[in-house]
Amino acid sequence: MRLLRNLSRRKLRTGLTVAGITIGIWALVVFSAMAAKIDALVQGGSRYYADKVLVTDGTVAGFGMPMQLAAGDQIAAIEGAEVVVPSVSLYAEELQGGVSLGNASQVLGTPAGADQGRETFVVGLTAGRELTAADEGTDVAVIGSDVARQRGLGVGDTIRVRGRDFTVVGVMEPTLTAPDTTISVPFTTAQRLLHDGLPPIVRDQVAAAGLVSQFIVYPAPGSDPEALAREIEATVDHTNAMTGAEFDETVGASLAVFNTIVVGIGLISLVVGGLSVVNTMAMAIAERTREIGIRRAIGARRLRIVREVVTEAGLIGLIGGLTGLVLGTVVVLLANEAGRPTGTILFELTPSTAAFAVAFATVLGMAAGLVPAWTAARLDPVEALRHE
Amino acid sequence: MSAPLDDATTTHTTETTAMTLIEARNLRKTYRLSKTNRVEALRGVDVRIEAGEMVAIMGPSGSGKSTLMHLLGLLHLPDAEDGPAPEIRFGGRDLGRASDGERTRARAREMGFVFQAFNLVPVLSAQENVALAGEYAGVPGRRARRAAEEALALVGLSGRAHHLPSELSGGEQQRVAIARALVNDPAVVFADEPTGNLDSARTAEVLGLLRDLNRTRGQTFVIVTHDPDVGAACDRIIRMRDGLVVGEEVRLANAA
Repeated sequence: MRLLRNLSRRKLRTGLTVAGITIGIWALVVFSAMAAKIDALVQGGSRYYADKVLVTDGTVAGFGMPMQLAAGDQIAAIEGAEVVVPSVSLYAEELQGGVSLGNASQVLGTPAGADQGRETFVVGLTAGRELTAADEGTDVAVIGSDVARQRGLGVGDTIRVRGRDFTVVGVMEPTLTAPDTTISVPFTTAQRLLHDGLPPIVRDQVAAAGLVSQFIVYPAPGSDPEALAREIEATVDHTNAMTGAEFDETVGASLAVFNTIVVGIGLISLVVGGLSVVNTMAMAIAERTREIGIRRAIGARRLRIVREVVTEAGLIGLIGGLTGLVLGTVVVLLANEAGRPTGTILFELTPSTAAFAVAFATVLGMAAGLVPAWTAARLDPVEALRHE
Repeated sequence: MSAPLDDATTTHTTETTAMTLIEARNLRKTYRLSKTNRVEALRGVDVRIEAGEMVAIMGPSGSGKSTLMHLLGLLHLPDAEDGPAPEIRFGGRDLGRASDGERTRARAREMGFVFQAFNLVPVLSAQENVALAGEYAGVPGRRARRAAEEALALVGLSGRAHHLPSELSGGEQQRVAIARALVNDPAVVFADEPTGNLDSARTAEVLGLLRDLNRTRGQTFVIVTHDPDVGAACDRIIRMRDGLVVGEEVRLANAA
């Protein structure tokens, strides 16, 4: 209390110091939030791909060429492929050739219960119910948390996907990764949507019921997913099989580079912010040399001086850290809100990021105060008293 | 016949040791301003301060009077080299070579300081400034604040307790500094040019206050001053020149 009042009596110096810390912590919060979001995406992918093999069409590098449902039987016949789940995925809106940086909403359809309990990446619901086999042929959907938030939808509302109206029957809990932007619909419904979206020439040659985007293959316990993937590619024509390890290597590695850059920027802002804190703190204490001389002369012990100054510096750090956190949070929320319509959610401010930022500012303030405090406490009091 | 005499002698000797508050010998101090520039501020000084005395240390600039006060007030240590060992006996203990911690503790608990430039902490109110000295001496916060109120009353500033130094006049600030020096009931108060920044009316006021505190409470004062009026108000004047004590005057008119 008394400390706060003392600080408020030194408004200019306190204000400048707090502002310096605020900027550093603000940058730290924003960049950490960005890194956390990227990290969550990578982690989510890594968890999703763990212990399974994802089989997609291998004729064209890239995304989106449909496969034939019949290929599933070929895969299932391979030794080590225990459960094979056909899956349909497509963008909720037809893309105009552009690529979205974030996660544009995806429509996903798999036969309910087809994984026979093998899926470990289970997303719970915050409202409503899961899709069941009885839903096949009806236009119902379970939507991701971002989709729900962004469009203000709840159970019972109607969501329009590719010109069709779906009734929302469930809302998924937030995962920070792909399911948040996903619209789950019954498998056959997804097949029809996929079929409708094909170029007319292709569409006329295939039936909707035979279309699949990918197969999710769960290996038999104890078998090597890597060997299974190679076997699938060798046995089934035009397939590309990816394992969790491959995902970590390719997608994970490229995202990790980006993540390193973002964290690097965060660290640079941290160092710059940190140095400005050290500088302002040293200036603030140098200005008080005389006052410290008075305190020493009338009997303050060195450690007491150090303690007083370091406590005050820590308090300044704490105030700056909290201010920076608030400003950073505002920026993150505004940026996410602005990016929501296009599905570009770049930031995820986690409680641990917030706690770290504030703790870091406090510790940095104290550390920044320590050296000048000790120097000042060691000054000859008579010398310090002559200081203007 | 012999018994009372024995008693008297015993009483007499105990009294002299109890009466002498500070006894300093062989005080030398050389400041090295640069490698070649050395200033011999004190060149061998012996000084004795009696309890209850109000002593002035006078002399021209550079005579070593402030240095002497810094040594007696344990703010600096005397030089130990190049001569007989220095001694600063304070209440019987030799603190002439004490550690910083010991000297700081003695300054906090047994000494008070008043400076020419008042030297109050600018962000603290009058009462907080006074209480600060109490806290440094180990007095718990609430008792320190009560002691501060009493000390401020003693210097006639009860009504200004919650003002910041910047809201007080020079004379008032110096009275706050005196209250701060008195708050721990110290054995001695050192004052370095306490009236140097005050006009003659304020000087008389502060001087009257010091004189009064000495008479009514027996407070020992050691005052470094240029001002002959301040010297004239003291019981004894120690005169210095070129780092040596060159004379002493006892002013019987003032001595109680």
